Amino acid sequence: MIPRPEDLIRVLPETIWCVFGVLMMLLQPFTRNRHVLSFFAILGTVLGTTATLFASSAVGMGSAFGGLIQMDAFAVFFHLLVGGVAILVVLAAGPYLEREGLESAEFYALVLFATAGMGVLASAQELLTAFIGLEMSSISSYVLAGYRRESLKASESAMKYFLLGSFATAFFLYGIALVYGVTGTTNLALMGAADSSSNLLKLGFALILIGLGFKVAAAPFQVWTPDVYEGAPTPVTALFSAGPKAAAFALLLRIFATVPAATHFWFWAFWILAALTMFVGNLGALVQTNVKRLLAYSSIAHAGYILVAFAAVTYLAGNSDTGAAPAYAAVLFYLLSYALVKLGAFTIVSQLGGAGEKHLSLDDYAGLGRRQPVVAAALSLYLLSLLGLPVTAGFFGKFYVFKAAVNSHLIWLAVLMAVNSIIGAYYYFRLIVVMYMREPSMESGPAPAVVGFPLTVNVVLAVTALGTVYFGLFPNQVLSFVLQSNLLGH
Amino acid sequence: MPILDNLWIIPLLPLLGSAVNGLFGSKWPKKIVDGVAVGSTGLSFLCALEAVREFFQLSPEQIPWVKQYFSWIAAGNFRAGFDLQIDQLTVVMVLVVTGVGWLIHIYSMGYMAHEGGYYRFFSYLNLFMFFMLILVLAANYVLLFVGWEGVGLCSYLLIGFYFLKKSAADAGKKAFIVNRIGDFGFMLGMFLLFRTFGTLDFLPLFAKAAPMQPDAMGQFGTLTVASLLLFMGATGKSAQLPLYVWLPDAMEGPTPVSALIHAATMVTAGVYVVARSHVLFTHAPTAMLVVAIVGCATAFFAATIGLVQTDIKRVLAYSTVSQLGYMFLACGVGAFSAGIFHLMTHAFFKALLFLAAGSVIHAMGGEQDMRHMGGLSSKIRKTYATMLAATLAIAGFPPLAGFFSKDSILLGAFQSENGGHILYAVGLLTALLTSFYMFRVIFLTFHGKERYDEHHVHVHESPNSMLVPLMILALLSVVGGWLAAPGLWGGTDYFTRFLGPVFGSAEAAGGESAARALELPLAGVAFFTALVGFSIAFWLYLKKPGKPEELAKSFKGAYTTLLNKYYVDELYAAVVVKPLLWISRDVLWQAVDVKVIDGAVNGIATGTTDIGDNVRHTQSGNTRSYAVWVVIGAIVIITIIFWPYLKPAAVGMVR
Amino acid sequence: MPGLLSVLIFFPALGGLALLLLRGEDHVWIRRLALTVSVVEFAFSLLLIPRVPAGVAGYSLVENYRWITDPPIHYHLGVDGISLFLVILTTFLTPISVLASWNSIEHRVKEFFVTLSMLEVGVVGVFLSLDLFLFFLFWEVMLIPMAFLIGIWGHERRIYAAIKFVLYTMAGSILMLVGIIWLYNVTGTFDLPAIQQALQNRPELLGSSVELIRRNELLLFLAFFFAFAIKVPLFPLHTWLPDAHVEAPTAGSVILAGVLLKMGTYGMIRFCLPLFPHASRDAAPYVAVFAIIGIIYGALVSLVQPNLKKLVAYSSVSHLGFVVLGIFAFHNISMQGAVYQMLAHGISTGALFLLVGMLYDRRHTFEISQYGGLATPLPRLAAFFLFIALASMGLPMLNGFVGEFLILLGTFHVHANWASWAALGVILSACYLLWAYQRVFFGEVTVEENRTLTDVSPREKWILMTMAVVTLWMGLGSTFFTRRIAASCQNVLDQMGSQQAQEALAPAKSAPPKGTVVIGTLKEISLERPGTR
Repeated sequence: MIPRPEDLIRVLPETIWCVFGVLMMLLQPFTRNRHVLSFFAILGTVLGTTATLFASSAVGMGSAFGGLIQMDAFAVFFHLLVGGVAILVVLAAGPYLEREGLESAEFYALVLFATAGMGVLASAQELLTAFIGLEMSSISSYVLAGYRRESLKASESAMKYFLLGSFATAFFLYGIALVYGVTGTTNLALMGAADSSSNLLKLGFALILIGLGFKVAAAPFQVWTPDVYEGAPTPVTALFSAGPKAAAFALLLRIFATVPAATHFWFWAFWILAALTMFVGNLGALVQTNVKRLLAYSSIAHAGYILVAFAAVTYLAGNSDTGAAPAYAAVLFYLLSYALVKLGAFTIVSQLGGAGEKHLSLDDYAGLGRRQPVVAAALSLYLLSLLGLPVTAGFFGKFYVFKAAVNSHLIWLAVLMAVNSIIGAYYYFRLIVVMYMREPSMESGPAPAVVGFPLTVNVVLAVTALGTVYFGLFPNQVLSFVLQSNLLGH
Repeated sequence: MPILDNLWIIPLLPLLGSAVNGLFGSKWPKKIVDGVAVGSTGLSFLCALEAVREFFQLSPEQIPWVKQYFSWIAAGNFRAGFDLQIDQLTVVMVLVVTGVGWLIHIYSMGYMAHEGGYYRFFSYLNLFMFFMLILVLAANYVLLFVGWEGVGLCSYLLIGFYFLKKSAADAGKKAFIVNRIGDFGFMLGMFLLFRTFGTLDFLPLFAKAAPMQPDAMGQFGTLTVASLLLFMGATGKSAQLPLYVWLPDAMEGPTPVSALIHAATMVTAGVYVVARSHVLFTHAPTAMLVVAIVGCATAFFAATIGLVQTDIKRVLAYSTVSQLGYMFLACGVGAFSAGIFHLMTHAFFKALLFLAAGSVIHAMGGEQDMRHMGGLSSKIRKTYATMLAATLAIAGFPPLAGFFSKDSILLGAFQSENGGHILYAVGLLTALLTSFYMFRVIFLTFHGKERYDEHHVHVHESPNSMLVPLMILALLSVVGGWLAAPGLWGGTDYFTRFLGPVFGSAEAAGGESAARALELPLAGVAFFTALVGFSIAFWLYLKKPGKPEELAKSFKGAYTTLLNKYYVDELYAAVVVKPLLWISRDVLWQAVDVKVIDGAVNGIATGTTDIGDNVRHTQSGNTRSYAVWVVIGAIVIITIIFWPYLKPAAVGMVR
Repeated sequence: MPGLLSVLIFFPALGGLALLLLRGEDHVWIRRLALTVSVVEFAFSLLLIPRVPAGVAGYSLVENYRWITDPPIHYHLGVDGISLFLVILTTFLTPISVLASWNSIEHRVKEFFVTLSMLEVGVVGVFLSLDLFLFFLFWEVMLIPMAFLIGIWGHERRIYAAIKFVLYTMAGSILMLVGIIWLYNVTGTFDLPAIQQALQNRPELLGSSVELIRRNELLLFLAFFFAFAIKVPLFPLHTWLPDAHVEAPTAGSVILAGVLLKMGTYGMIRFCLPLFPHASRDAAPYVAVFAIIGIIYGALVSLVQPNLKKLVAYSSVSHLGFVVLGIFAFHNISMQGAVYQMLAHGISTGALFLLVGMLYDRRHTFEISQYGGLATPLPRLAAFFLFIALASMGLPMLNGFVGEFLILLGTFHVHANWASWAALGVILSACYLLWAYQRVFFGEVTVEENRTLTDVSPREKWILMTMAVVTLWMGLGSTFFTRRIAASCQNVLDQMGSQQAQEALAPAKSAPPKGTVVIGTLKEISLERPGTR
């Protein structure tokens, strides 16, 4: 069958990303000029992202390829999100790769492919398509994780990521198989009709949940996160913490939205996952002295907060409550704010890390407020946003999640979240304290020198920082967008 | 009515003096400081006189004369105005305060001439005048409380005037805090009164209280409780049992201060308050009885201590406490005007005693211990004469002031229905002791052989600035009593009659005829006791100088107890101060605050961190163990999802 | 004058930005600019007085704009008699703190004054917000600058103190956030007056049955109350205070004691009482007990502090106990007293911290044992210290007295025994202040280096003069304040009373207990009390 033109337009972003990915590969033999490569990479990501807007405006919302792909506000949001993440990561990665003397072409290519995969994941309306998207992003991620070949940590993290990742993917695949066996379809839209009583169906969704739980690093499937995040090149870590997570959450959300059967019995699972994840993340971060690892744990914790919103969603859906929309909005907004912050934070970490990422310990950050006030200020802003203090996007993110939880009368979950935010406050604030209130200790060698911040990196910081503040003051547009009734196409 | 309309002038003048001296005095020569201080008080004395003149032109219904100046505190239905009031009682107090105060200012010019911080001294002294006048002129309890606390403050400042001396600083602090304990009661009293009557202004409050049904004896009605609370304040300010302890220590202050604050004026504030609130007290017989008993007991108790003290000022201090006891006794038995009368006469002769003692100390170059004096009468005749007059007055020799006032108190006591005779007996005994220890002072100081070496101490008479006040006060101590000379002395009791409008209702008791019949015998007895006291002192300290030591030896226990003031200070220190500090430091702060509360807070923090540490250790880095975690997770989730089915099974297993 | 409140809130922020533009080394101009900004801000705040009519309850100068569409969050500002003087207190103490830090802050001067102005933004915002969300926002915003003041410019254990301060406050405020959201869920708005209306007219919003309503109201009350109680701080939640105070620089302590603590008591008046009247009434006896414990406990503990600054800090626990007591006596007079006491305490304790700071500038220690006999080298400082100490121990005609007196008077009206216990604090305050004063200033100079200390500089003299004058004025002209405070306090009580009156399901117990005199054993006496207001 010949795909209709609008079908092609609706997958334009993914297409562009893939094309440019290939292009990067082809370019490599001809030029080693990093600037050229970076330029094309940036071009590709930007084009792909803008293509989303074009696609949505040109042919409007709707499904493509006979319902494999669903282009709707939801998908647009996530395309923009992952696309934006990709742009920023590419921008930030340039100087990093140069510093570490790593090939840039493959790197960019892999980032682009991963992004394409996430795009597919975000708009997939059909489980196998989703699986493909998942694998696209995952496999490129495995490679990216080990991109610093000579670094032992990196290869280790890649290996772990790969093994456990495929382990989890297996769960996911079995899940699909079971669901298909019961319902006779892998299309979510058709699945909506399926009766929720069948145990096999339940099992299937349970396995899917496990697979995705791994991707979003929900406890107890988070075990890989700290090692992988720490080992991977920091720009990649930034990507991991923002992109794939968002995409996986997107799929989860879509499954709920379209398959009531799933939501009915996932409530307690999410309740437990959320609680566990929050505590594991925060408590783990409490004792970290390596900033990168600390941020890794914090991203686990934040996955926990998002899962709280999921619990709210499932609760409402489970009780056939129509008020689930704010909960969705909460998730989306949270993911946005969180992506901004994490990107910014990790970018700073990767810059301050210095050659071979040596300076990652808290002590290296002592006196940063004096040494590099602007950088320190930016990092503090991100931390405060993670901490959830007002006039940052993070505050509203947390606020909406709280709201969703209280809305669904999950008072206790809300209280647990409150407790966790206090624990979180401790280690975030401690980092700020270190930057501003502690002087670099003499025994740890000579006082660290001022680290230069190249233009592209500064662009990333500017965007993320401004975004954090802007959405912290005026969340309106985003909200009205994610609150629109036909968010998920129907 | 230039002054009556502007009563505020009377207190304001000293305040100005105080402010001016306080701010600029440090740079000015003594003369100007003198001028400001003495001038301002003198002026305010003149204003007071003028006010009194105008007061006598008022028609009875204009009295009490109240002027409202501005609302000081106002909230809800509560208003405390800066309102001044003048009635007969106030007239007496104002004249005493300004008059005696002025004399003492004059005296101080000479006495303090060689002291550092001259301007500071006068600034404080004027400030005291201000607060004292506020106290007596106030038209409501709150403003009275302002003066009440204010004089306490000045007393604190002046006792601690020599702040380099630890003892002085301690004494000041002690005075303030002990007073605060009394104020605690006073405040509660005010609150209770406000809750009951909805106002704290004297006129409306008493108007509402007067028609109320008096509490029965032994019944703790509102008025009784209120009166007792006010009296608690009075015991603090007027150094009655059990709060008298600060007054003897207060002698650390310069002698003029002792004369003005700790003899003539401030310490009598308590008596004034009781008299002012007589409407309440007369409705509360229980309270009255308490007042009488406390007063009587204090009078006797303090007198006994006074017997053996060797520091001339301390003797006078205890004598003051004792005399204040008399005044409360008077109030307690309903003889308010007698109490106020004694307040006035006492102001004269006790101020005189202190000033004279000051003159002696001045003459002796700072020596205060009577054991190192003696035979001074020839050297400082004027001082001797004045002091002798004062002594005769306080000892109650007719026809001097003390005789009449004390006499009328004892009369009142004798007549009071509940336990009057006991009160009378104790009062009489106290009178004996008084006359004894006062003459003891005279003899030890001015008679006998000199017990100091002339080479170091060259005794000299004080300057006129000091002597003139002495003489004026001496005159008052002699004639002051005639104001209230009862009928049989050919006088008419002007004083009581003058105060009649104030205490009228209260004084109805004590029938005239009965009084007349009693006066003569009682007066005789009183005079006799005074004589006895005198002769014992004469015998012990002039005829047989060795005798006192022998007595002290033979009655060692009693003697040392008295010498150590019944160990009351030590008792308070052991029972109140030390435990309080211990609880505060070792229990509340170190244990509760640091260990329990903060311990808990920090404990939570460290506990959480430890958990975090354990969590981190699950992160072994070993891939296989990670896989195990994933599997466990999978099992958990599947269990959760199939819980509805598993539950019966699980329950079954448990069973 | 529309927009005045916004100006008040954001002018310091502008000032902060302007400061950022200055060169970091240019200390002189940084200080001057900071001072100018804060003084101008103060002038602005004075404009409020004529615009807040005395004797009228409602809010004035209201600004109300839609800020966030969903959930409907408004930028809703307003000022009434209660917030009026708290704002002015803030804007008054800020220039004072600027002057106080003139020389004592040498490093990172620019950051310091920027932080200070940001702090002012937060605090003023808290007092003016009428939208719960906005309120919470400022409440949190204020946190970080304060923590920085403590953590960067503080003394030895500053980091510990800063973190402790942040976590303590966070713990409370996060619960309040849950409470706020809960309220939003039941009422559908964050607007304070609107919520008040809703809860008043439709109590069923909180639950289906009376018990449920009561339970939820109590939970909500607690969610708010804890946040405020920690700020106040109410015993036993006070242990952050001594550390924060001792470690903070003088300016920090002044603002902390002068204003931040008041945010807690302000919150109680503004939110706890009107929103949750029954819960407040039910909780009142327990709150009062803690308040009274705080009064006596704080006084006793400060009595034995070897560290002068800690002594003053604990005295705040005692003083604020009075305020809480005055609020939870639910009596017009006592509540006016409470509001007044907030202001008085702000001035007198603020001044005490200034004086302690001046001693520290000279000797770089807070240990009382290091002082002694200072009245000889520092007569003026000693005089000022005594004056302020007397004010803070509640000597009549100085500001401390009016507040305490009204609080106790009003409280006694309703609960004689509460007032009687609390009045003990009056004795104790004299004890610890006079004892400390004696140990610091009286006696011979014991430590050699104290002999050569220099008395107050002109700058210090002006600071202290201002404080002293205000102290005296507040002590004499209290009606100037109470006249404006009264109506608003009455309003709060009316809201409580009326609610309870018109609500069918009000149980008898929520009526204030009959006043009985309880002094020692005289329990039996009971007398009918004239109307509560």
